[in-house]
Amino acid sequence: MGYQLNFGWLPQYLPVLIDGIGVTIYLMAVGAVLGCLLGTVCAWTRALGPNWARPVVVAYVELIRNTPFMIQLFFIFFGLPSLGVQMSELEAATLAMIVNLGAYSCEIIRAGIQATPRGQFEAGASLAMTPFETFYHVVLIPALQRIWPALSSQIVIVMLGSAVVSQIAAQDLSYAANFIQSRNFRAFETYIVSTLIYLVLSILLRQVLAGIGWALFPKRKAAR
Amino acid sequence: MHRRSFITLATLVAATIGLAVPAQADALADIEARGTIKIAVPQDFPPFGSVGTDLQPVGYDIDMAELIAEKLGVELELVPVTSANRIPYLQTGMVDLVISSLGKNPEREAVIDFSDAYAPFFNGVFGPDTVTVAAIEDLGGYTLGVTRGSVEDLELTELVGDDVTIQRYEDNNGTISSFLSGQVELIATGNVVAAAILERNPPIRPELKFLVKNSPCYIGMNKDEPELMAAVNAIIADAKADGALEAISMEWLEQPLPADL
Amino acid sequence: MIEFTLWDILRNLLLATRWTILLSLVSFVGGGIVGLVVMFMRISANKAVATAARAYIELFQGTPLLMQLFLAFFGLALLGMTVPAWLAAGLALILWTASFLAEIWRGCVEAIAKGQWEASASLGMGRIQQLRYVILPQALRIAIPPTVGFSVQVVKGTALTSIIGFVELTKAGTAVTNATFQPFTVYGLVALIYFALCWPLSRTSQVLERKLNVAHHNH
Repeated sequence: MGYQLNFGWLPQYLPVLIDGIGVTIYLMAVGAVLGCLLGTVCAWTRALGPNWARPVVVAYVELIRNTPFMIQLFFIFFGLPSLGVQMSELEAATLAMIVNLGAYSCEIIRAGIQATPRGQFEAGASLAMTPFETFYHVVLIPALQRIWPALSSQIVIVMLGSAVVSQIAAQDLSYAANFIQSRNFRAFETYIVSTLIYLVLSILLRQVLAGIGWALFPKRKAAR
Repeated sequence: MHRRSFITLATLVAATIGLAVPAQADALADIEARGTIKIAVPQDFPPFGSVGTDLQPVGYDIDMAELIAEKLGVELELVPVTSANRIPYLQTGMVDLVISSLGKNPEREAVIDFSDAYAPFFNGVFGPDTVTVAAIEDLGGYTLGVTRGSVEDLELTELVGDDVTIQRYEDNNGTISSFLSGQVELIATGNVVAAAILERNPPIRPELKFLVKNSPCYIGMNKDEPELMAAVNAIIADAKADGALEAISMEWLEQPLPADL
Repeated sequence: MIEFTLWDILRNLLLATRWTILLSLVSFVGGGIVGLVVMFMRISANKAVATAARAYIELFQGTPLLMQLFLAFFGLALLGMTVPAWLAAGLALILWTASFLAEIWRGCVEAIAKGQWEASASLGMGRIQQLRYVILPQALRIAIPPTVGFSVQVVKGTALTSIIGFVELTKAGTAVTNATFQPFTVYGLVALIYFALCWPLSRTSQVLERKLNVAHHNH
């Protein structure tokens, strides 16, 4: 006997795949935006926030960075209900993505902020900027520009890592792939197709992130 | 950038086209020549296959594998698999048989062959007292948790209406956790699993609502292996006749074999 | 159901942790060697070589590691090359790790100011000499913290080898949970063991970053 690849099932399951792609893009978009926002707030707290809040942020970042995503997801979805917090699998998956990316982006953004010379803060203050304005213009934007490539890579890693959310029945692309292959037993074909889709998504995501970087830091790029 | 991406894609596509494994000789002759039969079994699907305290697989499917090896007079090599990789193990010849409480459907039959039924599946829909359902028709509006790709998943997906939400989890643990944490109102699972949960007196109790149609499980093997198929079916028939299968069923499912198996 | 004591659970998880550690070491060391080669290709003046390295990086960073492992094991077997699971796991993890390390190190090499290249060129150094005596010694210093930091990702990445039959920490956790139905105990322990493996690495990375940064600023 010889095994021949057969993609004849593709039209039948195309809607399932498309739904899965939609959920993966949703998770990626919401996770990336809110995750980076959370990361920025945490990075600000670590650099300039109140003293009591710093250890909290450090504990959060270390806890998330040093444990597997799957287990974080599991505790959010199956563990939080015992504390009275019930959410759907999609909400839990989204929250897990935000919390995960928040921790990584906090570290990345913090590194960028630390590289900002101290004098810049004082210069900002002397221009009568409020602390927030100083943080935004003098610290955050140059820091973001510095770490944009690292942040982009991390966002792509988190997007690919989102495949794990199928464990809690969130219906993303990997859920679609597992669902299909559990029905038609064509695991090779299904995984080849889903791998190609992930590759296309990650290439597109990189392009989008590069475009955002270009739009966010236009003048500074030219000035370099 | 675009061109590079295209090259990457093209390479990957090219690498995946035109694959074919070399033609195999008769699988049964191979097994006898080797003196070993390699059988894929689950380790995350009690009572058919889970692990003992030494992390070795135990369960109905494992006992069945042992029976087949013994009757063929060869050594047994158990290969623990998951629902994601059990068929690739078979298709690449890394195992000879898959005994993993497989249910069959026409799509699956196009890819692999199935033996005669070797196990019944006493599965049902379970839920707390507060939920009153007594038949498939009552499930409308409820959310039901199942283990993805399992016999109950295949059955219920066919039987229930559009107004029932089926949540499919990776393994039995996911399904049970979803129930115990209140993420789903009802679950479909094996009676033995539900009984084991009840023994722990959980806050939400999985009481039997109704039994899903008994749908047996089959042993999977590669297509066009008539000798292996005949040998496996003969062993199953003998085991049904001499009570060996009944003993396995009593041990793991705590039920006698149904007459129609 | 089989009864597991807490010790049974912990013992099995710790035994499986040996695989996690071994796989991590193999992929990190092997990935470092391959990554170095890819990094040199990536910064090569030869366009074709640099493009090949970029395609390699894009392919391995752009697809899920789970699928790479799957294809390395089952895909090769389908092509008639049956490789043992440990070889497929080692190979896939090494190639995956290399793609990230190559990119991290390229960033470090490129972070060295352009003036350094020009200055060393004006001294009549060839490209190899420039790298050997001027660029790499400086790049090495800034490369150490993110490299150690990435090792955490490698440790966690080994969890995916269960797709090709490895019973490492995560898989052992899943198997035990499906026998005991005590997910919070089991996964809690799994999380603790990962933390115990990864936190020292993260910590080392941060300490090194601070030390080397200070040294850098004092120049």
